[in-house]
Amino acid sequence: MTGKVVRLGAGMAFWGDRVQPAAEMVERGGIDYLCCDHLAELTMSILAKQRARNPEHGYTRDLIDLLRGALPGCIEKGVKVITNAGGANPRAAAEKVLELAKELGFSGLRVAVVTGDDIEADIDELMAQGVGFTNLDTGAELATVRDRLTHASVYTGCEGIVEALRLGADVVVCGRVTDIALYLGPLIHEFGWAPDDWQRLGMATVVAHAIECGGQATGGLYDGDWQHVPGLEELGYPIAEVSEDGTAVLTKTPGTGGRVDIGTLSEQLVYEILDPGNYLTADVTADFTNVRLEEVGPDRVRITGGTGKPRPETLKVNMGYRAGFVGEAQFTYTWPHAWEKAQRGLEFLKRRLDRAGFVHGEEIVEYPGHASMWGDRVPPPTDPDIPEIVVRYAARCPDAEQARKVFTESVPLYNNGPAGVAGVGTRPPLKELYAIWPCLIPREHVVQSVELLEV
Amino acid sequence: MRVADLAHGRSGDKGDTCNVGIVAWDDDGYAVLRRELTEEKVAAHYGDLVKGTVTRYELPGIRALNFVLTGALDGGGTMSLRSDHLGKVMYAWLLRMEIGGA
Repeated sequence: MTGKVVRLGAGMAFWGDRVQPAAEMVERGGIDYLCCDHLAELTMSILAKQRARNPEHGYTRDLIDLLRGALPGCIEKGVKVITNAGGANPRAAAEKVLELAKELGFSGLRVAVVTGDDIEADIDELMAQGVGFTNLDTGAELATVRDRLTHASVYTGCEGIVEALRLGADVVVCGRVTDIALYLGPLIHEFGWAPDDWQRLGMATVVAHAIECGGQATGGLYDGDWQHVPGLEELGYPIAEVSEDGTAVLTKTPGTGGRVDIGTLSEQLVYEILDPGNYLTADVTADFTNVRLEEVGPDRVRITGGTGKPRPETLKVNMGYRAGFVGEAQFTYTWPHAWEKAQRGLEFLKRRLDRAGFVHGEEIVEYPGHASMWGDRVPPPTDPDIPEIVVRYAARCPDAEQARKVFTESVPLYNNGPAGVAGVGTRPPLKELYAIWPCLIPREHVVQSVELLEV
Repeated sequence: MRVADLAHGRSGDKGDTCNVGIVAWDDDGYAVLRRELTEEKVAAHYGDLVKGTVTRYELPGIRALNFVLTGALDGGGTMSLRSDHLGKVMYAWLLRMEIGGA
């Protein structure tokens, strides 16, 4: 095959992911761009909270760990880095990248900051202009949670990334751009695709989707013949060799563990998609329906058949809002009569909570090790000789004080309940809940801007 | 026979919606799964694990069926009290389903 090929590496799939695969693909993956996705729904709420406490925080700090390993190679080989690790504070993240570059002794590094996704400060003005922000799932009005908002982020597209690359950026630090935009940006920059070339953008979106979760495309999380995937401990991350028509050969960093074949990629193609004919992104509505995979060599799979339709006129907004705390307790009962004792222990906990004036919302009971994944679909154990039963109780609570009661009232199980109990544990840290408010905004209200910093 | 005899799968979250992708190992298996895994049967198999609806989509080029389960994650990843708050193992429940063979 002839013609230009752009090699995109998926270096990171979430905040806290391993940073080593990125350095490896820069060293020996022959990539042109290192694309790193650090964000998820909950991540944005946590980052917004960190920014509120300290104006220099609010980005995923693993970006710096990642670049400490990968940046020297990127500079040597001319690999550009595209990341949304900026989270709730892309400017602060970019400053930190510059600081790191200085520390490592590099000069002339150009770091772009892409903003425009954070609309929290503009909500009132936007509402005055007629943007409703009604909840996509429930139809409720934003006013019902307005005073509890933690952030408001638009899933923005790749325009800002394309502009940053045109300006000569070496590292592009974004806030909440879509995972897909991290990949479409460099491809549009390299191939000069028109912003309404839905066919190519749709195909490239399918390619991006296949690799954007990193190790999940190369044998990680694999359900198929998982016993035969080699080297999971040193799993290599995926690389897409994209052609001008948007199709690609998918592979991984040479000399790493894992496997790239029809099996591993098929599972990833169906991961976290809804209607495959209408995969909505900020840049294109992609159509996965007729995607095809063909093995063309060891750990090499050609992907074709994706297409696209015009992008939606509205952009998705995720707002976060504080929604109380989780109260949680766990304990284990042993043979004899493990199941019956577990039920008595649970009754004990609930009665004590009632007496303590416990105020709560929904609650859940799980039996880890017996039935904690599929709810009541799994019946109680039938074996009267069962060695042990673990009980996990959790409830959504309006505040920390109520949530704390769940643990406190479980402690007397140690010496006031039936014998055979252990594992009540020590006081766990309280988990605060953040709910997501999904809504839409007409795209004309959202403008990305690019600022170039240099060390 | 179980779905697991013909296919492998993966599942994940989009808010309170869980998607379950099932990939058949071969064309014959795909035909059986298309026949057996109707939205009604899959909804019945998940029972009250799914508070909303079950919708099925097809990706014939990779012999895959995608099931979209709404109201399946106790309010979504950030709110859910479930140990599996992201729906990562919901696929396995479908693989356990007993079906009629070829």
